[in-house]
Formats: sequence, structure tokens, C-alpha cells
Amino acid sequence: MMNDNVVSFFSEAPPYQALNEKLTYLLNFDTRGMMAFVVYFVAAFVVVNVMALIGGLGTYAERKISADIQMRQGPNRVGPFGLLQFLADGVKMIMKEDILPKAADKYLFFIAPILCMVGVFATLAVLPFSSGFTLTHLNIGVFYVLGVSSLVGVGIFLGGYSSNSKWSMLGGMRGASQIISYEVPVTLSIIAMVMLGGGLNFQTIVDGQGGLPHQWFIFHNPFTIISFVVFFIGMLAETNRAPFDLPEAESELVSGYHTEFTGMRFAFFALAEYVEVFVVCGVAAALYLGGYQVPFGLSSLEFLHTKVGLPMAPARMIGQFLEIGGFVTKTVLLYYVVIWIRWTLPRLRVDQLMTLCWKYLTPIALFNLVGIAVWIYLFNGESMWNLVFKTGAAAAGHH
Amino acid sequence: MITLSSYLAISFALFVCGIAVMIARKNIIAILLGIELILNSAALNFAAYTRFVNHNLDGHIMSLFIIVIAAAEAAVGLAIVIRFFQIRESIHIDDATQLLQ
Amino acid sequence: MFDNFLFLSSAALTVCGALAVVLAPNLMHACTYLLTTLIGVSGLYVTLSADFLAATQLVVYVGGVVILMLFAIMLTGGNDNKSVNKFGIEKVAPMGNAKTFTLAGFSALIMALVILKIIANVNKATPKTELPPYETTVEKIGELLITDHVLAFEISSVLLLGALIGAALIARPRRREE
Repeated sequence: MMNDNVVSFFSEAPPYQALNEKLTYLLNFDTRGMMAFVVYFVAAFVVVNVMALIGGLGTYAERKISADIQMRQGPNRVGPFGLLQFLADGVKMIMKEDILPKAADKYLFFIAPILCMVGVFATLAVLPFSSGFTLTHLNIGVFYVLGVSSLVGVGIFLGGYSSNSKWSMLGGMRGASQIISYEVPVTLSIIAMVMLGGGLNFQTIVDGQGGLPHQWFIFHNPFTIISFVVFFIGMLAETNRAPFDLPEAESELVSGYHTEFTGMRFAFFALAEYVEVFVVCGVAAALYLGGYQVPFGLSSLEFLHTKVGLPMAPARMIGQFLEIGGFVTKTVLLYYVVIWIRWTLPRLRVDQLMTLCWKYLTPIALFNLVGIAVWIYLFNGESMWNLVFKTGAAAAGHH
Repeated sequence: MITLSSYLAISFALFVCGIAVMIARKNIIAILLGIELILNSAALNFAAYTRFVNHNLDGHIMSLFIIVIAAAEAAVGLAIVIRFFQIRESIHIDDATQLLQ
Repeated sequence: MFDNFLFLSSAALTVCGALAVVLAPNLMHACTYLLTTLIGVSGLYVTLSADFLAATQLVVYVGGVVILMLFAIMLTGGNDNKSVNKFGIEKVAPMGNAKTFTLAGFSALIMALVILKIIANVNKATPKTELPPYETTVEKIGELLITDHVLAFEISSVLLLGALIGAALIARPRRREE
């Protein structure tokens, strides 16, 4: 049994099969594997580049929104509305001198930014952009995201250690301990959603929800709302965003674990951070907010092909693009909230950070896990709206 | 190419490397690295035999428990190392000669 | 073809990482080489159709054990390789010297001969059967864990709790006034 993925989506289309037959005829061997490889390669290339672009635009959004909150103009010189500012920054980063501190551990200094990048970009393989255009709907998708993204913690720690500077060292230590501590409540919240969805596959979890808010897992029952709040706080801490940006607290630690990094190495760290924020917002959207589901079944083949009367091939593509639109809208809204929180709340102290994680969030997440399990057992996994409608209908029927 | 013997060869290499690390190093943490290598080779063997010989998943469960025990062992082992460092200010294995502090 | 590529690259990562752990003169570097070995083993699990094991390997080792080891190395003085301790007494260097490496080579050789003797007949002894197709193991492992292996499952949870409390107790800083 293979997982659904972008290749299996395209291989159902007649032109793909026709091209495959033609190539098999021309080249005298079975070209299915080669075609699949080419499609995978193109899809991965597109996803990685688009996400790098989104990471770049993230820096622009951060500066523009912070300017808005502080009643400033923000970047407005390069391109329309300053939109191309991140390209100018990128060029500047490349032109900068690549400084290697004399006492730095060269090997670790070299691999630390790469580990961060690898950890973040590897999670893109399972991020559910739509039902067809996902690189793969891996059947251990959620677990895979948790495992791969912990490489970022190793990267941050090694970045802090290898620079041989006390600011970097403190930042790296704080970063790594913060990431592994907050992994506990985040994982417990995710496990609750896995229980509701009935599988570790992102597709299973998203398909268990609907397009409208009352069908989302966040409003499934009272516990899931708390679970979402815990997940969101833990997610902010795991990506080192304010108010949990202690690893790079500029008032205490110059700039934390990337104090000594310049040029492209620093750009790697920054890009990894912004893409990671997008990825975790995407995970939150998929787990709690219905992912790529579009309201009223507007993206389904049944609607576009049968009712509107579009031909088969365009109907499928339009449906997929509507789903991508739904997913990206939810993710970008969450992204906005993350930036908004950063420019609103003051930073926590280290002891407050650890107290929040171990004394409040972890017990709450555990309690929630039990609560959701009991809810599923008692009400056969029905959401509270269903129960309300049912009792309402029954009451109306009795009278 | 993907045969039982190739997996056994890899796991054999891991095991021998682990033994060599455990004997050559005198730093307690380095010895723990060697133990991780040996545990991994054992877990890999279980998964390989499950795939090639008997197809029920008991081997996977065994590997899972090996991973769990490796994690517990690393946590307790490193806690002992840190405690030892607090007392002796060294993590040289030859300094660990007394059971009581 | 893709299977072979994945197998070869994972095997290369695993074996090269393990050799580098043996030969690295720097403990911090040895820890990162161990990381490559662990990721390689996870890739090998994927080629063995053990997807759940592969993900568990990543979560537990990369996210937990390796970071723990990096912390422990840093908290206990990093990777100094001096052969004289703080009382001025001559010792074997922490990362080993020629003598310990010779000893290790000999003992590894003996272990290798014993193991090779044991696994020499594996190729003849195992019947050549058609390999089952790749399939997900998550549901089956979940079922096995709460039916056949439920006792081991519960005992391992008690073990983990014990390890958690024990590690926290042992590593706690000492009181000053004792």
C-alpha cells in the first residue's frame, strides 16, 4: 500500500498516462519510475523555493507589521510598498564578509546553520498543502514532523557552543533546553488530536474535519480549545518567538546563539526561523483548523465537475488550488497572530519560562489528553455541536 | 543488494565500532556513545530478522523497547556522570574507583 | 532502484559515522558523528519497512539522547584532552592513546571473529523467500503493544518514570551546608 502523494495525484490524469505510454514506447523500458522521479523532483523544487520565498516575505511582513503597530512606515523604498526589501537584504547578506572567529570550532560552526536548515526544510515533505499537491501523505506524518524538527534544537545548541563566546553559549543553552522542554506539552496536545483524527497521517486528521468552523477539531469539545491554546503557546516557544525569544534576547545576550554568525550563515539561521514559524502555523492549521478543507465542499470534484459543469481535468486542478488557498489563508492568519504577539507582549524571564512549561502547560496538556479520551469514549467521538443539535432535535420532536 | 547478510554486516560494523569505542576511550561520556552504538546494532538486527525471516512484528516491538531502554539509560547515565563531576571534578573513568563518595 | 539508493546512502552514513566515532579526537565532534549514525540507522529502518521504528529513532535519539549528551559534555568541561588531571597526576588521555587503541583493536578483532563465526551460516540457513511489500506498521504495532506485549509496555512505562525521577534526584545540585 503506497501513501497518497503528488505522483499518485498526477498519475490518475489521462495526459500523464498517455505521456507515460509514449515514453515507454520511445525509450523501450518502463518509464513509470522515471516519470515519478521527475514529478517528485519538480514538486520538491517548487515547494522548497516557494517556502524560501515565504521565509523572505516573512521578514518583510515582520518589519511591516511591527512598523504598523508602532505607527511607523517600515520598509518602503525597494519595489512597490518595499516588497522587494528581502531581496536587497539577501544581496547584502551575500556581499558581507564571512567571519570565522579565531577560537571557534570550525567544523561545528560550519554544520550548525546547515542542521537548522535541514531540520526545517525536511518537515516540508509532509506539510499538507492540499489533498493532491502534498509531497507525500506519509502515514507517520505527525511523528515524522516531531522527529525531524528536533534537529533544529541540535543546530541551535551547536551554533551557540561552537562560537566560543559567552553570549552565544548562553543563548544556545537556553534555546536547546527551551525546545526540549516545550516539546512535552506540544507533543501531548498533538497526541490528543491524533486520537480524535484516528491516525498519524495528516490526511486522515484533516479529512476528519470539515470546512466550517464548527466541524474543526478546535471546536470539537471544550478540551480541544484548551489543547489549541497549549499547542499555540508551546509552538511559540519552540520556534523561539517572542515572548519566548530568550535564546536571542537582545537586551541580555547581544543576539544569542547567532551573535558570531555573519553573512550567509546568519541568513541560514534567520531563514530557518521564519520558515519554521510558517511550518508550525501550517501544522496548527492542519491539526486544529481544518487544514485544506474548503467550506460547503466548494473544492470537491462533485461540485466543480457535476454541478458547475467544468471538464474533468480543470475541475481537479481548480479544486486543488482552492484547497491550497484555504490552507495558506489559515496559516497566514496564524502567522499574523504570531507576529502580533511578538510586538505586543514583553519577554519572560528564564525561570518564568520553565515554570510555565513544567508547572502549568504540561499538567494542563496531560489533563486535556485524559479529558479528550473520556469524551471520545462517552460520546463516541461526536462533537459538542452534534450533541447540541441532536438533543435540540429530540426535544423538538417530543413536543 | 538488500539482503539479510548486508544488514547483518552493517550491524556487525556498528557493534565492533561500539566495542572499540568502549575500550579505547577513558571519558565516561565517550563510553556512553559506544553503548549507544551497540544498542543500535542490536535493534537493527531485530528489525532485519523481522523483515527477512519471520514476518510478524514482534521484532519491531523488541527494537522499540531497546530504544526506550537506551533513552532511560542515557538519562540516568548522564545524571550519574554529572553528579560524579560535581564530586570529583573529572569524568575520567579511572577516577571512578569508589562506590560511596 | 530507489530502494537500493536509499539503502546504500543510509548504510554509508551509518558505517562512516560509526568509524568516525571511533577515530574522532574531539568528543563534541564524536557526538555529531553519532548523530549521522543514528540518522543512517533510521534510514535503514525505512528500507526494512519499519516506518514507525524509523520515526521513533528520530524522535528519541535526535531530539532526546543526542541533545542530552551534548549538554552533559558541555556541563562537564567540554572536550579537553589533557593527559594530566588537576592534581598533576599523569593519566591516560580521556580520548585514549596509542596503547588503549591497540587494546581496543585487539578486543574488537576477537569480538569480530566470534561474531563472524556465528553469522557465517546465515546465508545458507535462511530460506530465500519473496519479500513482502512495503506497508505501514503503525496499526499492527499499536495492537501488539496493548495485547501480546502489554506487560512489557507497562513495565517500560514504570522504568521510564523511575529513570525520570532518578535522573532528576541524582543530578540535583548538592546542598552547601551539609
